[in-house]
Amino acid sequence: MTTAPLVFTGRGGEYFRIWVVNLLLTVITAGLYSAWTKVRKAKYFAQNTRLDGHVFGYHGNPKAILRGRIIALVLLGAYTWGFQFSRVAGLVTLMVLCAAGPWLFMRSQQFKLGNTSFRGLRFGFDARVGEAYRIMLPILVLWFAPAVVTALTADEGWQLGLVGLLTTLAIPWMHHRLKAYQHGRAVYGDRSFAFLGARRKFYGVYLKGAGLVVLAVLLGTTVAFVIAWFRGPASQFPGTGFEAAIYGGIIVLPVYVFAWPFLAARLQQAVWTSTRLGDVRFRTEIKARALFKIVFKSVMLTLLTCGLYWPFAAVALARYRIECVRVDSELPLTAIAADLHGRPVAALGEGAADTFGLDLGL
Amino acid sequence: MRANEFRAWFFSGRDGEAAAVVMRVDGERVVVEATDGTVRESEPLTTVMMSEPFDHAPRLITLRSGGTLEVEEEGGRLARALARAGVAVSPIVQLRRWWPAVLVALAGLIALVSLAYLKGLPLAAHWVADRLPAGIEGRLGDQMLVALDRHYLGPSQFDAEWRERLARRFADAATKAAPGVPYRLEFRATSEESINAFALPGGVVIVLDGLVRFAGDEAAVLGVLGHELGHVAYRHSTRQVLQSVGVGMLAGMLWGDFSGTAASVPLVLGVLKYSRGFEREADDFAIAFLRANEISIEPFYDVLVRLVEREGQRGIATLPDFISTHPSLAERIEHVFKALDE
Repeated sequence: MTTAPLVFTGRGGEYFRIWVVNLLLTVITAGLYSAWTKVRKAKYFAQNTRLDGHVFGYHGNPKAILRGRIIALVLLGAYTWGFQFSRVAGLVTLMVLCAAGPWLFMRSQQFKLGNTSFRGLRFGFDARVGEAYRIMLPILVLWFAPAVVTALTADEGWQLGLVGLLTTLAIPWMHHRLKAYQHGRAVYGDRSFAFLGARRKFYGVYLKGAGLVVLAVLLGTTVAFVIAWFRGPASQFPGTGFEAAIYGGIIVLPVYVFAWPFLAARLQQAVWTSTRLGDVRFRTEIKARALFKIVFKSVMLTLLTCGLYWPFAAVALARYRIECVRVDSELPLTAIAADLHGRPVAALGEGAADTFGLDLGL
Repeated sequence: MRANEFRAWFFSGRDGEAAAVVMRVDGERVVVEATDGTVRESEPLTTVMMSEPFDHAPRLITLRSGGTLEVEEEGGRLARALARAGVAVSPIVQLRRWWPAVLVALAGLIALVSLAYLKGLPLAAHWVADRLPAGIEGRLGDQMLVALDRHYLGPSQFDAEWRERLARRFADAATKAAPGVPYRLEFRATSEESINAFALPGGVVIVLDGLVRFAGDEAAVLGVLGHELGHVAYRHSTRQVLQSVGVGMLAGMLWGDFSGTAASVPLVLGVLKYSRGFEREADDFAIAFLRANEISIEPFYDVLVRLVEREGQRGIATLPDFISTHPSLAERIEHVFKALDE
């Protein structure tokens, strides 16, 4: 039995320089250059991640990413403003999202994995259209159900409460279904990954996570109330928008700082221990408490430096998450890799995947 | 190892085996030699694909054969050898590798973002607002009113006859002073007697009972309504909504991966606070509105002054929209005061 850790060699100072230049070019080009910055960033994080002495590579085509971002922006705009425009426009947007969503998601996975390499071999995603719809359509329908009910009923009555509760209870199920699909259909060289399933663990983690979210909201609300109380009686409606945003931030921040590290750490544990590549097993030694310390420090320093700490925070977070991963195998990785073969690029339709690249943060 | 030779890993792309090789930058070619000295690959530097240099990561060099070389930077030795062979370094890489240039870029970035925030966004929002179909603005305002009615506002306690009389007087005055500005007057109240009036996109003007009682004088109420009609005429609230969307997108560009940013911009937040310029424009509009109808400006001025006195007692936390921009309040009063003299 051999164990190999992932090692991350990125540095905050170096990434800060990349970040500043990337941002300057993005702002000058009104966002168009963001596709190129995305590629540089992905290359930086991939090439600074080592396993068994070798690094990962990223090969995404910026033009494909730009096309993907334009598609995503149009869909996002339609989704955000559709119901402002009219009920019909909103419902049509949701139908378009349901019809195109599974295919777009499948393509985005193909693009992301197909453009990642290790030891000269590409990862990949075994994409089958029928399966993508079978997996994703129930998730999308459940996800949009509250919006549809809001649009169809005049007031926020019991129907919305019921559907909202159903969707909320289904979040662990949806998340698990998505992860099982992502990991179960991933490919490296000519070998397929397998996902064993961890639905019960997902429910356990989310149940505890929900408790933390409630505690965090209570904490945030208490702080907001104390501040409001010190500032005098809040008899005037509506106050200013700026103030409302501050109070909103005070309530949302504890959720991000306390509940997110717990959910992220425990879910990563569940996902990685269920993933196999032949005889190769994965696990992560990520701890919620350590992740919480990093997130807390990052949030505080980012606020204090008006956002300049952001790239340092991104590197610190990536370092911890990457370096917690362990790869276990009976044979040394070198022996396993020598036995792996590349596959012709056309085999999984990855040529087509290069027409556009969507980066979904899932 | 000679100055142009580097220990490297070679991956054929056919399998995952890592072969220890020596990479030589030989004139204008890359030559890959196995440990026994046999040449495995030889290719012109112009056709290989070379990843950009990072401080602690190896370079990935992709050959036309499909093979990949993984070569350590060796503290800049590789970069120097490539430079000697005439491989150009992109200006962007040169920029981001040199701290002073990065600091200049940072200063430029801050300047550009400030410019975009202070000048670019208002201009863009104005441009879009003027081209937005009236139907969209109307629906936007109606939906906000529905949301406000559901959560904050109740029906006005004044009797219908009185409301109708004031509405008619305002309508006559509006026709005289600003014909062709489409608006809809709505009377509402809040349980806490809020002193407020505001305009929503599409021309919905809402006046709260608290403001009418506080103003006392009908001429003062008309002045406040004239001020809100100014917001309607200049599409201030639509512009404000668009600007807040723009701020969200700008922030997303800087700190997020700009998906989901537009979705997270709460709509109602945007309208409730106007810039100093917007308030001044609306005040000027109100003065012109009152003058055109031969109504004295004094009661309007008086309301502004009394609101400032209130502000002094209550702290600035709870100011209504009508006088929401604290720093310019004194300036605004002075501005209206000048109009009194003319």
